[in-house]
Amino acid sequence: MRSPLTNPYVLILPGFLLAAFIILWPLFQLGTISVNDVNRFGQLRGFNGFDNYMAVFRDPDFLGALWRTFIWTGGIVIGALIISVPVAMILNEDFYGRSVARVIIMLPWAVSLTMTAIVWRWALNGESGMLNSGLRNLGLIDQNIQWLARASTAFPVQIMIGILVTIPFTVTIFLGGLSSISDDLYEAAKLEGASRWQTFREITLPLMRPFLNIAIVLNMINVFNSFPIIWATTQGGPANSTDILVTYLYQLGFSLGKLGEASALSIMMFGLLLAFTVVYVSLAMRRERA
Amino acid sequence: MSAKLKKSLLFWLLLSPLVVLILFPFAVMFITAIKPANEVLSPTWWPREEAWRNFIDMWAATNFGNALWNSVYVAVLSTVLALLVSIPAAYAMSRFRFAGQGAFRQFLLVSQMLSPIVLVIGLFRLVVWLGLLDNVNSIVFVYGAFNVAFTVWMLQSYFSTIPKDLEEAAWIEGASPARALAMVFLPLALPAITVTAIFSFINAWNEFVIALTMLRRQESYTLPIQIFSLVAGRYTVEWHHVMAATFVATIPVAIVFAWLQRYLVRGLAIGAVK
Repeated sequence: MRSPLTNPYVLILPGFLLAAFIILWPLFQLGTISVNDVNRFGQLRGFNGFDNYMAVFRDPDFLGALWRTFIWTGGIVIGALIISVPVAMILNEDFYGRSVARVIIMLPWAVSLTMTAIVWRWALNGESGMLNSGLRNLGLIDQNIQWLARASTAFPVQIMIGILVTIPFTVTIFLGGLSSISDDLYEAAKLEGASRWQTFREITLPLMRPFLNIAIVLNMINVFNSFPIIWATTQGGPANSTDILVTYLYQLGFSLGKLGEASALSIMMFGLLLAFTVVYVSLAMRRERA
Repeated sequence: MSAKLKKSLLFWLLLSPLVVLILFPFAVMFITAIKPANEVLSPTWWPREEAWRNFIDMWAATNFGNALWNSVYVAVLSTVLALLVSIPAAYAMSRFRFAGQGAFRQFLLVSQMLSPIVLVIGLFRLVVWLGLLDNVNSIVFVYGAFNVAFTVWMLQSYFSTIPKDLEEAAWIEGASPARALAMVFLPLALPAITVTAIFSFINAWNEFVIALTMLRRQESYTLPIQIFSLVAGRYTVEWHHVMAATFVATIPVAIVFAWLQRYLVRGLAIGAVK
């Protein structure tokens, strides 16, 4: 059978070229800019070693954004995990209205993060926002809170929104994991007289471990990269107090025109993501062998 | 009360805080969208009179039609582009064993992990270099390329479930590989391709950072950028128009997604966790 259709290299070539071009060309550009002195219009003015990298580390706003990225990523990944495990276990059971419940839980995934963030920005509005009026009606607060005016309230709310939009994907992975556990195991545990908690600890949790690992790593990558929630609610403000690395990077590159520093930061973030990916691949491989 | 009914009530009770939190923004969006202009700033839960006109007025006030057209254009073309290169690649990945297959798989994985935001400055230079700044075709190109990893991944996991015997039988019957592919394989793969296409469409429909960076004039804005531009850096925001626009831009896609989400579960379960 001689035909281009039976030659795998011909078949993968267009896809490979398109994806490689859009990744490698920009990456090469970033690498070049990051070790050069560059003006705000992008003209290179000579090699300057690691000056751009040093300049990033000397910027106090960078250190703040870095620290906040840890809290942001950790908070959302752990929060989504803690909520998603019981939610997936409930959705895996048979009960009235289960398909409705599934659709509702999945809903935030279907809406663009930008739109979600814009709606929350309005709902969180100090005077006219419905969150304040709702909480007042419930008697939980007696004064309007200016949610987005201070980092101490804005950032936790942003993390809460992040958790809400991360739950659908996480639950999806867990549902896949739960459906792979054979019912026989639960039957056997029941016959042996195991309690619900024992069943959960001794059967569900160990067999879910690979799915937990993969959800954690993939969520870390996604949340680390997540830009619209913070950009569309506070744009990293007030005064950079809700910046995470991606929003800081965007400001550095496109508002402040510090292309050299922004490129250096991009390269460092790329390295970090590559490290995450290696962890993911080794986790996935370990599961394949098991 | 039957055991199942009791269980259902308990489960709904446990889920209720999350359900309320998820539905809250949708309620805010819808209620604001039907408030008359003079009532928008008072945080009541239902307007005295529903202003359905907002949906009509919004169209002109937010330049909705133009942005809608741009979004449809970008989402359709980038999906077509991604599928054109992904279908052969996914076919190769599911049907052949070849040297470098593992490397290609790793490459797809890495490109899936990379969000455009990390490369955005390099991408910006690329688009400027190609002379496509402020041109929606630049977005088609970038979205298409960034979707390749996802579409190959999804398609490959579905293609692997289509038995190879059928094509081989067609070969034995004397059909050329091209004919076997067109008559036997593609009809069977069509549902998988459709589902993948819809997810690729939704990805493009919802994307923000690339569009924000590459599109500078209002005529080329896609929906997320158009709506964002009505909110960001303005003293007075016409929230009832913004929410009506958000509602129209969001709900059709959300319904399609919710309906198709179980296929995504299956595709991801077969593909990503493997």
